[in-house]
Amino acid sequence: MNKLALFVVVITGLMLIYAGQDLPPFGDPDTAMYQHNMTQYFIENSESESGVSNIVTALLANYRGYDTLGETTVIFTAGMAVMLLLRRRER
Amino acid sequence: MTGILDVVYAEYNYWIYVALMMIGFYAMIAKKNLIKKVIGANIFQTAIFLFYVSLADITGGTAPILPHVHGGEHVEHAADVIYTNPVPHCLILTAIVVSVSTTAVALALIIRIYNEYGSLDEDVILAARKSLQPEFSEYARQKSVDEVSRQ
Repeated sequence: MNKLALFVVVITGLMLIYAGQDLPPFGDPDTAMYQHNMTQYFIENSESESGVSNIVTALLANYRGYDTLGETTVIFTAGMAVMLLLRRRER
Repeated sequence: MTGILDVVYAEYNYWIYVALMMIGFYAMIAKKNLIKKVIGANIFQTAIFLFYVSLADITGGTAPILPHVHGGEHVEHAADVIYTNPVPHCLILTAIVVSVSTTAVALALIIRIYNEYGSLDEDVILAARKSLQPEFSEYARQKSVDEVSRQ
């Protein structure tokens, strides 16, 4: 056991728990996040606007399409990095 | 005492995520094996996923899939059906992809390190690196001299 690492981890955990006291209770529907206009808009209108019954799919591929496009860039870059690292060197 | 217990129970998802995250954090900073560090990073990321998905949950809510589209049973769009929040789910879907990508790059780097040094232990690698250091600096110096003479 690394004493210093354990100390750092415990302090960080206590800070996170202290910061978490202001977060809403588990499963509470009256949070600002759920009652926000944007969330309610997505739940009510995503089907009529995108024609997909799964709201998460509608969000990912329709409202946040450019984000998903950037996500493919992330996968592409990671794949290129892995290929460059693992390719045998020709000498 | 019941007040404290109620507070703990009402926010137990945060306690679980903090515990998981700190397990991963400890593995990242205390373990000497590089593979174990990567496993720690993955546990850390999974704790974040759990945190976001638990933030999205609503008591009594169903998965955010509308039941009455595309030839399914025509249920009236009842206002009393509660859906869980779809926005954090979507965010985490993106974060999982990034997590897989970073893990892939980290494991590829570890394979290269193992091929180069024959060990995954951090101390062994650092010792080998230190013993190689004069050669490396000599190589770098020679290379810069070559660069200058070429110009």
